[in-house]
Amino acid sequence: MKIIGVYNIKGGVGKTAAAVNLAHLAARAGRRTLIWDLDPQAAATFYFRVKPRIKGGSRKLLRGQRDLDRLIKGTDYANLDLLPADFSYRNMDLQLSAAKRPGLQLQRLLRQLSAEFDYLFLDCPPSISLLSENVFRAADALLIPTIPTTLSVRTYEQLQRFIQDNGIDGVKRLPFFSMVDRRKRMHLDILETMPKKFPELLATEIPYAAEIEQMGIYRQPLFGYVASGSGAASAYRALWQEVRRVI
Amino acid sequence: MNTQNRQFQLPAELEAQTIIERISAQLPLGKRIEERDLLTYYDSFDWRLFGSGMELIVRRQGRKRTLQLRSQNDGGLIESLTAGTRMPVFCRDLPAGGGMRRALDGVLQMRALMPQVELRSRITTLPVLDDEEKTVARIAFERHAAREPGKGKFRDVPGRLLLLPIRGYEESFERLIGILLEAYALPPGNEGLLAAALAAIGRIAGGYSSKLDFSFQPEQPAASVAREIQLQLLATLELNLDGTKANLDSEFLHDLRVAVRRARSALTQIKGVFPATDVERFKPELAWIGQITGESRDMDVYLLDYDRYRTSLPQRLRPDLDPLHDFLQAHQKSAYRKMVRQLNSERFRRLLADWRDYLQSTSTGSDDAPAALASIAQVANKRIYRIYKRVLAEGSLINADSPAEALHELRKNCKKLRYLIEFFQSLYPKSDVQPMIRAMKQLLDNLGLFQDLEVQAEKLRHFAHQMVAEGEVPVDTLLAMGMLVDGLLRRQAEVRLDFGSSFAEFSGSENRKAFKALFAGKTEAA
Repeated sequence: MKIIGVYNIKGGVGKTAAAVNLAHLAARAGRRTLIWDLDPQAAATFYFRVKPRIKGGSRKLLRGQRDLDRLIKGTDYANLDLLPADFSYRNMDLQLSAAKRPGLQLQRLLRQLSAEFDYLFLDCPPSISLLSENVFRAADALLIPTIPTTLSVRTYEQLQRFIQDNGIDGVKRLPFFSMVDRRKRMHLDILETMPKKFPELLATEIPYAAEIEQMGIYRQPLFGYVASGSGAASAYRALWQEVRRVI
Repeated sequence: MNTQNRQFQLPAELEAQTIIERISAQLPLGKRIEERDLLTYYDSFDWRLFGSGMELIVRRQGRKRTLQLRSQNDGGLIESLTAGTRMPVFCRDLPAGGGMRRALDGVLQMRALMPQVELRSRITTLPVLDDEEKTVARIAFERHAAREPGKGKFRDVPGRLLLLPIRGYEESFERLIGILLEAYALPPGNEGLLAAALAAIGRIAGGYSSKLDFSFQPEQPAASVAREIQLQLLATLELNLDGTKANLDSEFLHDLRVAVRRARSALTQIKGVFPATDVERFKPELAWIGQITGESRDMDVYLLDYDRYRTSLPQRLRPDLDPLHDFLQAHQKSAYRKMVRQLNSERFRRLLADWRDYLQSTSTGSDDAPAALASIAQVANKRIYRIYKRVLAEGSLINADSPAEALHELRKNCKKLRYLIEFFQSLYPKSDVQPMIRAMKQLLDNLGLFQDLEVQAEKLRHFAHQMVAEGEVPVDTLLAMGMLVDGLLRRQAEVRLDFGSSFAEFSGSENRKAFKALFAGKTEAA
């Protein structure tokens, strides 16, 4: 099982859209795919029309008193399952820090799923926390949607430092440009300069598009309602191809 | 935690619409999806995928084909592949290093994939929704029709109603089942779709196997048993005839030849059941089939072994061998052409017809066939034990200085023994016979390899001369072939060294006692 964390310190950068659409693409290719909505805001859970609630909350889950397996919900799409968000996830940091090796709890927990799925997408909440650290340690790759602004470049550097300072070496960082608006001067500048500075940056850009925002209206992954030739759809397809190649 | 699908039979007279209306009165249903599907099940002639619990489903989409390898049990996808315009026939046609090839290689081996049945489906699926309009279960109505691949009329396959659970919504699923069953007493359906499709065209999966599978009673008269064996072998021969002529894969000819060898062995080794004049009449004719098919089989074997030959050479010399491949291919083609002419000849046609007539005619018992009415157990015991003793005697005379012919001779008798035991194994307890067959197989493998290596080395030298006679052949190719010959003879010498231990095991006192107890009717005092 390949574990892909979709993460950024900043919120509102297109994390959930990327997690949901890439997971959907993986599932459509026949790969057994799970998406875990770790964000108490429950956006991914909402897109899949699942109730944002898990029995026993995150406390029982982290203590291993609930089988992850029994909490998983099938989505409306073949090969694609969801582990829903729960409002109790907001307290996950506290619960994690109570454990013995707080940075490795998630990794331990996910082991039980490894035979059942080919891909696990972790849709992470923003901010940098103990939960984030757990994600970094558990994931094979960290997919980092990045809006081409100066602030985003700064937060990416922050993340890089954090990962280095904490000696986390098993995770591939895969930043990519998200919500790109080529009418904006600053976006164009950053699109030009950032790849030189960060060679790990993926080539695919996800455009800023109304179609993507409409996921919340349709409550479906993008491919559920757009024509397959749409620009946004093609962008996610290209992104998934690129991600698959590197991991 | 995965809940299983529930499958029901859907009687032809029961309209899907009626059921939908009935259920939607109690459960919110979503938009229906109508799908049409046309697919073909592929397998080898002898159903190797089916025998390994797999199904290969091929769909054409425009000029491309998608291949899906599924598990028979739960329909789970094992591998999938989009192939180009040409359907892959052999494993070697699949992308090297790919998952599909890995999954099929060991199972399919040298066999070709053949279309087995074509299925046309109309599937109506409706989601059962909750208050968020999330799908919590599905209902599928399936109507299918099947036909022989690419020809004939589609025939109806019994319809099915499937209830499909969604993980994590077990309660909704149970409720759906309850509502359906309360309204309709639908009988459960457990049959797989492949089996149902084949049944509709009058066939069954696993309908062919080259393995012998007789079931005899000890008291049966020997002649009728011998006839049954021969008729079964004749059927195997005939079943493989079309595939042999079309050269679909090398196994058709191989199975055909094995059937003929077994038939010849049965004819001469089950003694006294047919009048001697009849045996004398058919014996040379069956031998003739062996002759006219021999060269083609030889060429098949060299082509099957070619990759092994090639990789036995040092890397940089491997390309030198390529002209041999061209030679083999060309000669395989012409050998097959020659063989097919014979298989289409009047003599061959008449032979099969006469042989069948003879086997089906009812005359039993004649002065000329003294054992015809004896019980088969008696005849089998006697023949098996006699050949067994002959093998023991011949084998124990072989030492390091014995000529190769002595081993070849021993092999012949070993084969006779093996065929006899295989014909009659249903007469004996499985637990007694199986270990004997295993020990014998080990000895036979050793003897077979010894002889094959010699024949191959000899034949390769012959090919070299032939290639020179037929035209220009690079010296490097001849040198590479010389290395092969050397390798084969070295291996032969090694194999010879193993003979002692194989034979010792076969002729060990344990096995001797077992043979005596089983076939000579007495137990030796321990």
